[in-house]
Amino acid sequence: MVSVMLRTRIRISAGKVTVMSALIDVRNLTLKFHTDEGLITAVDNVSFSLNRGEVMGLVGESGSGKSVTAKSLMHLNPSNAVYTGESQITLNTDAGPVDVLSLNRPADLKVVRGGAVSMIFQEPMASFAPSISIGKQMIEQLQLHSDMSTQQAREISIEMLDRVGISDPSRRIDQYAFELSGGMRQRAMIAMALSTKPKLLIADEPTTALDVTIQAQVLDLMKDLVKEFNMAIIFITHDLGVVAQTADKVSVMYLGRVVEEGPVREVINKPKHPYTRGLLAALPRLDDLDAPLTPVPGDIPSPLERPDGCVFSTRCTEIAGEICSSRIPLEEWIDPSHRVACHLYQKGGA
Amino acid sequence: MTTKAENSDLALNDQKAKEAYFTASQRQLVWARFKKQRAAMVAASVLIFLILAGIFAPFLSPYDPTIAGRNKDYLNGAPNIPMFCDKNGCSFRPFLHTIERERSLKTNFRWVETVNEDKRRYVEFIVEGSEYKLLGFIPGNTHLFGISEGFIHLFGTDASGKDIYSRTLHAIWTSLQVGTIGVFIAFVLALVIGGVSGYYGGWIDSILQMITDAVRTVPAIPLFMAIAAFIPQTWTAEMRFFFISLILGLIGWPTLARRVRTHLLTERNQEYVLAAQLCGASSSHVIRRHLLPSFTSYIIVDLVISFPYMVLSETALSFIGLGLKDPVNSLGVMLQNVTSADVLLNYQWYFIPVIFFIALVMAFVFVGDGLRDAADPYSDISR
Amino acid sequence: MGEKMLITARGLSVSYRIGKGLFTQTSLKAVDNVSLNIRKGSFFGLVGESGSGKTTLGRALLRAAPISDGSAIYQDDEVEYDLTRIEKAELEDYRRRAQLIFQDPYAALSPRMTVRDIIAEPLEVMKITSSREETDARVREIAAKCRLNLEHLRRFPHAFSGGQRQRISIARALVSHPQFIIADEAVAALDVSIQADVLNLLKQLQAEMGLTFMFISHDLSVVAHTCDHVAVMYLGRLVEIAPTRKLFAAPKHPYTKALFSAIPSLNPDERGTAQKLEGEIPSPTNQPPGCKFHTRCPHAVDICKSDEPKLEVADGEHEVACHRWKELFA
Repeated sequence: MVSVMLRTRIRISAGKVTVMSALIDVRNLTLKFHTDEGLITAVDNVSFSLNRGEVMGLVGESGSGKSVTAKSLMHLNPSNAVYTGESQITLNTDAGPVDVLSLNRPADLKVVRGGAVSMIFQEPMASFAPSISIGKQMIEQLQLHSDMSTQQAREISIEMLDRVGISDPSRRIDQYAFELSGGMRQRAMIAMALSTKPKLLIADEPTTALDVTIQAQVLDLMKDLVKEFNMAIIFITHDLGVVAQTADKVSVMYLGRVVEEGPVREVINKPKHPYTRGLLAALPRLDDLDAPLTPVPGDIPSPLERPDGCVFSTRCTEIAGEICSSRIPLEEWIDPSHRVACHLYQKGGA
Repeated sequence: MTTKAENSDLALNDQKAKEAYFTASQRQLVWARFKKQRAAMVAASVLIFLILAGIFAPFLSPYDPTIAGRNKDYLNGAPNIPMFCDKNGCSFRPFLHTIERERSLKTNFRWVETVNEDKRRYVEFIVEGSEYKLLGFIPGNTHLFGISEGFIHLFGTDASGKDIYSRTLHAIWTSLQVGTIGVFIAFVLALVIGGVSGYYGGWIDSILQMITDAVRTVPAIPLFMAIAAFIPQTWTAEMRFFFISLILGLIGWPTLARRVRTHLLTERNQEYVLAAQLCGASSSHVIRRHLLPSFTSYIIVDLVISFPYMVLSETALSFIGLGLKDPVNSLGVMLQNVTSADVLLNYQWYFIPVIFFIALVMAFVFVGDGLRDAADPYSDISR
Repeated sequence: MGEKMLITARGLSVSYRIGKGLFTQTSLKAVDNVSLNIRKGSFFGLVGESGSGKTTLGRALLRAAPISDGSAIYQDDEVEYDLTRIEKAELEDYRRRAQLIFQDPYAALSPRMTVRDIIAEPLEVMKITSSREETDARVREIAAKCRLNLEHLRRFPHAFSGGQRQRISIARALVSHPQFIIADEAVAALDVSIQADVLNLLKQLQAEMGLTFMFISHDLSVVAHTCDHVAVMYLGRLVEIAPTRKLFAAPKHPYTKALFSAIPSLNPDERGTAQKLEGEIPSPTNQPPGCKFHTRCPHAVDICKSDEPKLEVADGEHEVACHRWKELFA
């Protein structure tokens, strides 16, 4: 009885924290794909929200559903994707709230695709057409989302290229994607994504393919731009170090579910979910060369063999009991902004 | 509520299905994906049906399709559709009415036909008739159906009295033969030339590519005109037939060769090929064990899709008189006479074979498309 | 001393000629004057970013890339081969003793062969076993060591996850009982939770089978935990080489230092403390004169722009190629 009251109180205070109009609010997002092997669940009941100027790290390994979740925010998933009825994504633009999943016409979708929401990808070669100069593509992007003339769009594009640290921008703007190095291409992609001044930037593994010294430069750039534009960023990565350096809050995903979410210091220094703990323990750390490398035991289940109950139960080393393999744990707020989906915390204790 | 036993049964079946998926070879996976496409499966059934119809043409048709089997009394005759009931009652066996012709003073000595509705001719099944050789060497004389008296022409007859139905079935067989020979020749040449080109690269590739492009630019119609002029009159229809197939193959290989080459160029840089080479595998081992299996599925698709092109090329050539001629039967040959206004206005049944050929070509195309979608792991097959 | 060196490389260079025309060809020096020793039984790390030449060096040691200059000697208990002059018969034997594990677990396994056939292929090609039973026995033995059971052997690669596929790759590399394994970014494409698993497996196999590893990676943290010696490459040249602890405790080359500071730390409170490296890696076809790193080095002076520094001994086994290491980091 007391524990129920405690939990309710915590939830109410959590509600107070997030009630200021979030920039993007995702509720119960569930997404399945029709494939030859059957209906595969990619994302299962994911909810989160993000405010302006906040950087959220979306962490997960392969099969976690992080990319699919991000693409849903721009309604970019392929046609064999099926959203369940309760899934809802609300984007609060200046013109009012927009229900992203109900958008169908290209005119409406422009708002989420490149307008208020922009996306940058892992492979910069993939987002630039190889036979058109970068300048032309950036100008095209600007003109699609505004009434600018070509001259105006060109000026703004050169400005953006300069802002992201590309030297000699008025010459570079007429170059082709293959003429730039990996790091510069990524910067150019960031410039293109930001030229429409989006409110939300989704970065899908933007630095994974880059050398570590270039990655450091690009991460610095993104942090500066967040401050300058007051953008929100969803930073998708599998690299917890990158998250620790850039994000304000972290969401850890496993097999389509959010298993833990909270402020970055809390999740990294005091992880609660066994998967988060396992992930942090498996990382080779430079500050302790003697520590053994402890992998998370087992393998990620194939999407055809989704476990009943808690999705992590097949590999968990801290099983609470029978309940783990039979019932899906709900998300519990253990702190005003830190929640975990684990049976170990369901009874009110931490 | 399912019982525990049923649950474990379901689990066992589930397990078996998953194991089957894990141990499925590439070929089995492609076949499983192919089966899921309804259009392709329907097309495959149609294709098999038509192929069988072609193979067993002599058995399925009541008459010899050449001049020898013609009906002198029924030139340009309309199709005879058997019926089950007439004013005299119904019967289980289908029958036709007899057409009697008479010429007399009364009709000004013109042939006048009257239908005698009282005289029935019953359609008989499994009858003995003219002799034939199935597939060219199995002798027989049994036909699927015939009629007690006179002739039955399901699709009517042409200007010399030949049964169009029999001709159609035989024509399917001829076209399939031409297509097979042509595709086979093209395929062998494409494999060798494209294979050497793609595997070795470098200057061998450049030279072979020049040859390939040169052959591809040869214009078909003038080439066949020249050939038609040079084929000696003394050649039999069969020899002519094989020669035409040969030529079709010889100018058809460039497209296939290019596909083989492209595929080899990409595959030979794959890491698993390098892994084999690092073990010291010889070129022939790499080609046999790794490269050839990797594009078998694509080549099968290419073969199936090239087939209708061969068939249509032969049809076009025969139609304008540069390909096959009587007595060898093919659609092109059958269409040689349809251009006169007479036929277009009065003898529309000449066009019935066209329907069969459209069906044959479309079946190939759909099956080929289906195979390609099934073989390509990145295609988006919508449900 | 008296420890056996399995691989001894002196002044090893790998040059490629690029350009299509007969007259317009330029040289690309992918590996330039590299000298190193790999001790038998060690786990040797080779670290670098893109364009460093680390992959090319590994391939050259396996004779999958042409050696244009210098020498490389392979010496184990039984044979000694000069890799620059090796003949066909000796090369076949060498292939049994030196194998490669690839980076991409999805591209390294032929999708149309069963796991059993993939692992058995080296045995069959190199004619190591003479009968099917013998082959099967060897395959099963090595598969068990890599934690693959009999069921797995019947399946095709598409049934497996990235980590499992990498284990199949490892089994294939080990089935001929080699002495020397080059792991080229063997864990780069794997999830973090599986990475540790594969690395532990490699170390275990090393202990069981007495293997020598050359571990090529761009990930310094992974190298720090697994290797006993590390060499750092930049644009085809070796810039620093040392036992792991020494390198990580006190790096002596500006590039190594920059690499360390660029790794994003897991401590959220350590933001903004790292010293960032500006600029880009120069193009390998247009290499700067003098020290290759001078275009980005915060400590570059005039001599760095004209003279290439040689590898000199700083302390025991710790060697560094920098004009100013003594004043900067000693």
